[in-house]
This record gives sequence, structure tokens and C-alpha cells, in this order.
Amino acid sequence: METLPDQRVEAQEETAVADPWVTIVWNDPVNLMSYVTYVFESYFGFPKQKAEKLMRQVHEQGRAVVSTGSLEAMEVDVQAMHGFGLWATLQRSGQ
Amino acid sequence: MRAFKRRRGMYVARLDEDERGVIAALVADVAELLGAGRIDEGAVSAGDGSPRLQLEPVAPPSDPAVRRLLPDASRDDPEVSAEFRRLTEDDIRAGKVARLVRLWTALTTPSDGHRPDVFAIDPVDAKDVAAALTDLRLVLAERLEIRTDGQAERLYDQLLTSPAADLDDDVGVELDPATRRYLVAVYGALSWLQESLVEALLTDLRAPGGARDTPRGRPPAGEHPTSS
Repeated sequence: METLPDQRVEAQEETAVADPWVTIVWNDPVNLMSYVTYVFESYFGFPKQKAEKLMRQVHEQGRAVVSTGSLEAMEVDVQAMHGFGLWATLQRSGQ
Repeated sequence: MRAFKRRRGMYVARLDEDERGVIAALVADVAELLGAGRIDEGAVSAGDGSPRLQLEPVAPPSDPAVRRLLPDASRDDPEVSAEFRRLTEDDIRAGKVARLVRLWTALTTPSDGHRPDVFAIDPVDAKDVAAALTDLRLVLAERLEIRTDGQAERLYDQLLTSPAADLDDDVGVELDPATRRYLVAVYGALSWLQESLVEALLTDLRAPGGARDTPRGRPPAGEHPTSS
């Protein structure tokens, strides 16, 4: 079956909407819980409750997904996290 | 040493000359680790601030402390890590060095007031100071081989209850005892100082009309950038 050009465009847009990459912040023994919360609130603009929930997830479960989006957008976020001294990585969503 | 408090629009701590000297020396050491030369000898070279296009691959740092400051961006994809390092490492390095240089200057510039131990940080610089304190603590923790939350908590407990006592043979066992005690004391002091600064930052960030950044550099939806 031949794929029409319109459908190809649609498929690409769906991939973009599905946020194929994620930024993960990992637990480390150095960063203060208050500082991690501060970074989540000030950089991502998360409200206090969401920032504290993600901070606790990092601390208790060892990691938390803090943002999703394109590879380029996640590179920007990981670069910012490394700037703050947080241990962050990016990976494909769903891995 | 006294913790940071909000006072007359500034974040103010108390650090005497010796305390400033200890922190400034560590700041200079960490800047040198990041490839800046010696700040205290006026030999800073972390780029001129202009963006550079890095075309060649950048090898990961061999020193584990520097590698903690500039970690891999992927746990399982060396290509992603290499590309991220090529694109970002020069900028991250330069940003870290620039704020270390500013902190070093603040620590070594005598305050002109009648209280020479007053160490006042302008709110616009406070985030950079907090981040620089993180980098100092990350390097100390790597040298002390603090690997787990449990080790870090025991270290804080011991500093609180018996600061003069010998620590468990838990962290920094490779170091000679005097160096180890010194690094642990500096680590504890910097942690306490950073905690007080971050608490003040969080209080101001959460205050109505607080100093919240625009998320990821974008103006928040529905707000006029000029309104205050």
C-alpha cells in the first residue's frame, strides 16, 4: 500500500507529540533535599508540591523523570541540571 | 561562622578571615580542577565567554571529581554521551568557573563596613553561590569517597554530636587522618552554609511575587514580561 504524503507528515507529528525522550535526575549523597527542591521549582517552574514530590522520589526511589520532550529539549534540561550540580541523564521514553 | 539570613534585601552570613581563606582556597582548587588555572595567581582561562563551536570529540574527564561535575548524559548510550559532551562541556565548564571566580572575589575582597566578618550576597547572585557551593561539596565528597546517603548522614550526625572526635573508618580511608578530619569539617560547614542559603532562596521564591525564574528561560504564559 502506498503511503500518501499527508499521512507521513501526520506520523511525524505524532512522534513529536509523544515526547520521545526524558530527563532523569538520579539520587546522590551530596545534594541537599532543599537544594534539589529549589532547582525543580526555580528551573522547571514546578509548584512546591510537585517539586517536593519529585525530590522525594529521587531520594527514596533513586531517580525521577523531571521532563519529557525532544532530544534537543532534553539536552538543554540535562545541561542545566549539570550546571546546578545535579546528576542527570537523558534517555528514550519508555526504556 | 553564622548561617545566611535575609537582611535588608541581601543574604548575609558571617565568615571570619580564616573561614574565608579556607573556602577561597577550596574555590581556587576546584576552578583549577576544571581547567581554569590558579584564580589566586590571576591565571584564569575559562574561555572568553563567547560561544565556540566544538567540532572535535571531547574525552570524558579522567579525575572522578571532575567527572562528577561533568557527568555522562546517558547511562547506556555512549554516542548520546559523546555528542552531549561535544555540544555542552565547554559551556558548562566555563559557567562553573565563572561563578567560582565571582565567589572567590567576594570571599577575598575585604568588606568595608565596621563588621569585617559580614559576608553579604546580592539576591541576583545567590543562585550562583548556592550552585558553586554544590560543586565544592561534590568535589570534597568525591575525595572523601562519600558514596551513600547513609555515609553522608552518619558524617553529619558525628559532626553535630562530637565534632572533635575521630570519625568512623567509613569515609576517606585512603587519606591521612589530619587531611580527612579537615575535609570532613569543611564539608560539614559548607553543607550547613548552603542549607541556610537555599532555605532563604526557597522562602523568597515562594513569596507572593517572588523571584521565580521564567521556566527554562521562557516567559510564563499569560504574564507580561514587563510587569512586576
